[in-house]
Amino acid sequence: MIDPAWVSGLSALLFVIGLAGAFTRKNAIIVLMCIELMLNAANMQFAAAAVHHGDSTGWVYTLFAIAIAASEVAIGLAIFLAMYGQHESITLDDVNVLKN
Amino acid sequence: MGGTSSSEIIVQSTAAEYAPLILLLPMLAFPVILFLGKVFNGNPFWKNNLKEGGLIALTVMGASLILALAVARDFIGGFSSMEELSEWVWFTSATWESTTMMTKEISFGFGVHIDHITVMLLFIAAFLCFLINTFAIGYMNTDPINDNRNHRFYAEFVLFCSGMLGMVLADSFLWLFIFWELMGLCSYLLIGFYYERPSAAYAAKKAFLTTRVGDVFLMVGLAMLWGMFGSLDYDVIFNALEDENFMAGISSSTLQWTLGLMFIGAVGKSAQFPLHVWLPDAMEGPTPVSALIHAATMVNAGLYLVARMFPFFGAEALHGDLVDLAFIIAAIGGITAVMAAAIAFVQNDLKKVLAYSTMSQLAYIFTGLGCALWLANSLDWHHDSKAHGIVIVAFGAALFHLFNHAMAKGMLFMASGAVIHEVHHAHHHLHHHDDHQHESKHPKELVMLNDYLEQTGQTVYEFFKSIDLDGSGEIDMYEFQTALKNAEIADLPPWETEPLLAAIDLDGNEKINVPELEITLGNLKMDDHDHHEEEFDAQSMENMGGLASKMPITATAMLVGSLSIMGFPLIGGFWSKEGIIANAWRVALEDPRFFFPAACVLLGAGMTGFYMSRMWLKTFAGSPKTEVAAHVAPTNTWIKTPLFLLTFVSLAGIIFAGMGFTHWAPDEGYAPFFDGKKGLMEGILYEMEHAFANHDSFFFILSYVALILGAIIGPGLALSLYGGSLDEGEQAKPWFGPILALNAAIKGRYHWDNSALAQSSLATALSNRLYFDHYYDMAMLKIVAAFSFKAAEADSGVIDGAIKSIERGSQNLSTRVRALTTGSARDYILMAAVGTLALFGLIWGVA
Repeated sequence: MIDPAWVSGLSALLFVIGLAGAFTRKNAIIVLMCIELMLNAANMQFAAAAVHHGDSTGWVYTLFAIAIAASEVAIGLAIFLAMYGQHESITLDDVNVLKN
Repeated sequence: MGGTSSSEIIVQSTAAEYAPLILLLPMLAFPVILFLGKVFNGNPFWKNNLKEGGLIALTVMGASLILALAVARDFIGGFSSMEELSEWVWFTSATWESTTMMTKEISFGFGVHIDHITVMLLFIAAFLCFLINTFAIGYMNTDPINDNRNHRFYAEFVLFCSGMLGMVLADSFLWLFIFWELMGLCSYLLIGFYYERPSAAYAAKKAFLTTRVGDVFLMVGLAMLWGMFGSLDYDVIFNALEDENFMAGISSSTLQWTLGLMFIGAVGKSAQFPLHVWLPDAMEGPTPVSALIHAATMVNAGLYLVARMFPFFGAEALHGDLVDLAFIIAAIGGITAVMAAAIAFVQNDLKKVLAYSTMSQLAYIFTGLGCALWLANSLDWHHDSKAHGIVIVAFGAALFHLFNHAMAKGMLFMASGAVIHEVHHAHHHLHHHDDHQHESKHPKELVMLNDYLEQTGQTVYEFFKSIDLDGSGEIDMYEFQTALKNAEIADLPPWETEPLLAAIDLDGNEKINVPELEITLGNLKMDDHDHHEEEFDAQSMENMGGLASKMPITATAMLVGSLSIMGFPLIGGFWSKEGIIANAWRVALEDPRFFFPAACVLLGAGMTGFYMSRMWLKTFAGSPKTEVAAHVAPTNTWIKTPLFLLTFVSLAGIIFAGMGFTHWAPDEGYAPFFDGKKGLMEGILYEMEHAFANHDSFFFILSYVALILGAIIGPGLALSLYGGSLDEGEQAKPWFGPILALNAAIKGRYHWDNSALAQSSLATALSNRLYFDHYYDMAMLKIVAAFSFKAAEADSGVIDGAIKSIERGSQNLSTRVRALTTGSARDYILMAAVGTLALFGLIWGVA
């Protein structure tokens, strides 16, 4: 069996990749994907911790997080659709009405 | 109150129970007249039958007069001092030492206090208010300038009367002060009745503010009195003065300061030096107002206050402690008596002469009161019956002069009003086709300015540059005023410069620029200059003369009034004036400081004789000085009636004297007539003997010196300078015959040239009112205005500055904070991430 520490490290790597993507990418959908990546990194961390402690609570959290991520994607995509209707673009740099 | 304990009895009198109505009736009439006047304005019944409220006011004043007479009758019928207990409690003030224990409870209620002084003043006020109201119906309602606004006049008139009546009836210094202020307000409203005239508005403000200076001191004095006695009720204070144990805890020097502060209030109200400047200007009001405020009621308020102080001076516990204040009162009176009389010498305005005469005669009363208070304070009058008599006669003389002066001056003002009214009508009649448009369009100062520019050969632009002191390209009022003064055109006060400036100021920004000045002066040149007729002044004695044959009743009233003021033997003012002079000298023999006021009043007697005679002669004797004066017609019945009545009141001076008015004093039953000890004839003979054949040789000589000065030398000088016989064919009443004949004879034989004297610097100073107004204005400008400017700078610099810098700082801060919100979602995520990291780091570090 793989040591849960390896899984934990992979999840950290995935999270950093997702974070870097969310910071740097302009396309809203890619940013959303990066956020999903970070969520999954968290799920992985839960799973690793559940195995490590021998406690099934972590698995339950993972299930919850997956459900939340699914609904989040649905809302996120709906927002992007609306944004496209307004701005004819889903590039994040074009959306700055809250500036200053 | 008073010296003996028997005067403390409280007597129930039917009339006294109704006494509050005396002041309540006019007070209630005030809103009624005002309201009806607004509703029925212009209605013919309201205008012709009700005289725009004049008849309502007359009814109310008549009712007040009847009640006042009933009170006086009950009082003279044997009651020495009536006091009605407070019927209506206004509010209650309590002092608490701890949360549970109340140490003192004081209620402020209104009650009526009636004693000798009250009755005297009550009668004067009610009687004169009624007569002046009658006069006002004849005067105000026939003047087209007052059309449809007389209801305002009558409403303010009755409120004013209610103020005066309330003040004399009040039973505490607090209510005295409240009604005192009510009068102050009404005098402001009435003096400024013609508020559309800037000079009237200015005079109203001046009267209000000048008396206010005194009122502040009065208020401080009353607060100190409250601190000492714990009450302002006459009853409480005057009883405390008799209580030796209580008085042991009172500092007499503090009390002297307190009374001194209250006296300053009286100085302001009664227009004495140095707060006298408002009275002459107050002649801007309609003549009935002058008669009411400046002869009959308001100026007497100050005298009433000083007379009310008598128990303080008479108290045994304060024996000899208040003589300095008594001297100050007498000295202020002495200074004013001579100063006002001197200024009256050179006045040409009929009403101004009377205004200064009022000041001078009030000063006599102040001197008389000062001397009476000195006597009360330094003689042992509680136990020595001779001293008792001296004190009472001294006090009575002052109060009797108050009575005589009020009657005579009320009559004189009404008579002068009749003269002015008729001269004005005659002028209107003769010049009804006059075109006043041209005069108002081109003020004479502007014409003079135009002439000045032509003479000096300046262009408008050059002139403008030279007067634009601050180089702003526009001339404001002060620059304009200075320019007029420097060009020797006119030295105008601000309120006269303003309309002038407005005549040039075409765009209405209150500043003049070059085009405006050029256009105005251009218009001036285009119009012909044929309309430069001098504005006719209906009040100037230079426009009168020879009216004795045309207005016989008015001339008689004026003559009797003048003789009364001058102290002509047997007529009203003679008895009281002789009394005041004799008492001033009596005190001077005891206290050398009093030589000053004593000499002043003696000198003033001669001066009074001169200026009153001058006034009468210039107005009524000689030939008419203008065409207008030759066409004056007799006046209407409303005006004649009060004059007729008051003539007899003044002529009856000897009867009043015989009735013991000179013994009118705060002591019961002294007056011989009232207690039945002496009959009227006996009283008259007694007074005659004292006046003309005094047993004391000093007073014998003194009375004749005063008589010769006031009734022979003063009038003699006036007779040699002014007047003359009437024109051929003019028929005067027989009683004017001797005067006019004497006038013609003296003037023909002894006429001397006084033009050198009239040109002297003294005469100039006098006609400029001894520069008092000038110096007061300067002091205001230098001190008050300078302080105001500094205060304005401090306000805009420090206070506004602090608030503005707070505002600027928060704005800068918010700009910086706003810069953080870039609007980019990625930046927000970055911030959230960094924030979370920091948070975790923090928790980790702490843990």
